[in-house]
Amino acid sequence: MTQMLAILILLLFLTAGIAAAAMLDRAIPALVAGRPMKSSLSAPFAVAAAMAIAPKSDTEHPDRVGWVLAPILYFTLAAVGLSVVPLSPRLVAAPSEVGIVLWGACEALTVVAVFLHGWSANAPLPLMGAYRYVAIGLPAMLLSMFVLIGAALPAQSLGLVEIVESQRDVWNVVRQPAGLVLFLMLGLSVSLRGPFDYADPYDLAGGTQAEVSGAARLSWRLARLAMLVSVSAMTATVFLGGYLGPVLPGFVWLALKSALVLVALVAAGNWFARMPPARMMSFLWLALLPLSFLMLAAVGVELLLWG
Amino acid sequence: MGLIDIAFILLSAVAVISGWRVFVTDSMVRASFLLLLSFVAVALIILLMAAPYIGVATIFMMAVEMMVMALFMVMFMMNPAGLNPMMMVHQNRFAIGAGVVAFAGLSLAALATDFVDNRVDPAKRVVHDLGIELLGPSMLTFETAGVTLLATMVGAVVLSARSGRFGASDEGSLPPGLEPGGEPAGRKPEESGGHHHHHHMHG
Repeated sequence: MTQMLAILILLLFLTAGIAAAAMLDRAIPALVAGRPMKSSLSAPFAVAAAMAIAPKSDTEHPDRVGWVLAPILYFTLAAVGLSVVPLSPRLVAAPSEVGIVLWGACEALTVVAVFLHGWSANAPLPLMGAYRYVAIGLPAMLLSMFVLIGAALPAQSLGLVEIVESQRDVWNVVRQPAGLVLFLMLGLSVSLRGPFDYADPYDLAGGTQAEVSGAARLSWRLARLAMLVSVSAMTATVFLGGYLGPVLPGFVWLALKSALVLVALVAAGNWFARMPPARMMSFLWLALLPLSFLMLAAVGVELLLWG
Repeated sequence: MGLIDIAFILLSAVAVISGWRVFVTDSMVRASFLLLLSFVAVALIILLMAAPYIGVATIFMMAVEMMVMALFMVMFMMNPAGLNPMMMVHQNRFAIGAGVVAFAGLSLAALATDFVDNRVDPAKRVVHDLGIELLGPSMLTFETAGVTLLATMVGAVVLSARSGRFGASDEGSLPPGLEPGGEPAGRKPEESGGHHHHHHMHG
């Protein structure tokens, strides 16, 4: 019974989150540029409707199964990842003792879904986007594993309820501020956004979605937004104390914190420039990955001394 | 037949059929992802057997592994994008022999084994116990295997990368011709003496 309730709330959460993310995608650049933001409320719906009825384009000998499955897989991974996020200690859609490992599996399969989307089109630009994304997305995903282990250490558990409960005294963002920054980068990477958007960037004319139009393009865009909502909720849960908070019910706190992360991610996606792929790859392997090791070691030492 | 039995039969069918398709398909990328599908089905069966960590970790690792495998196979085998149709099997006779022997052996083992039939107590902390085992008595084994594998991977990349420690690895080598016996493909290696001979392949 509580599980059904949790699923219903999460569905609502996902739908509202996707709509909010689409609006923020227009509102934040307008705000920065000082343009009126009024059209950002209705424009996403108009664009989505136009996309839904646009004719379908085709390429020569695409891998049809992969092309159709990629957006479905991507959206499913976002939904599965969201399902382990607890709304209160007992209100969880998919209770799991290995919640963060499940989320890690969703991240890993996201790389597969994005690659499949670009590869299946059998066209140069989508393929380049797909290969670039694997090169950047995989190390970014590895990095997030160390960040998540760092968050699991104080909880002494891989379950998300325990991780939230371990933040009753102090949120993980205070204990591991670097972890939050690294996890936000992962958020940009799994939702193909801004400085980590190597799959669908403008310099590849849309990358993996360059040859996709109509409803297929709409579903890909929706899946990207769904993953953004999902990763926002996960960040809020792991670093900002999830459902913890006074007076209001837990899921309202979770929604508020996720909204905050969502705004931060959309803003970061619009704010930061994208490095050339080769430089980003060196940056990830040589700077960020060692940083995540150091952070993990620091958490271990902290727990040994004061834990 | 319960829900779990039906799930087991369906997942086994997915695992076997996608495993078979790996050898019938004509593209390396498709083969990798079919193998991934097969592994995911096996991982879900492991989940049914009340081993949540091992099941989910299998999905996680196989996703990364198959993605890397697809990428490297395409990179090293000069098959642009892995979309060119290619034969995915070789050494057919030996493979058939090995397959028959393996199938007979595994079937025999499955039929001869007296499988235990005790349900896992839901209150048992299986993930916790596994962690204690992995980082306790079995730590030396796992760490030795892990570090050896890592060293092998780094070594393989160092040896095969163009920018290896002994200079560009393709120095002095010629790419194959575009047609049998034809001009080598790609950029012509530059002459060191400053002479500009454009065609070396008179013959």
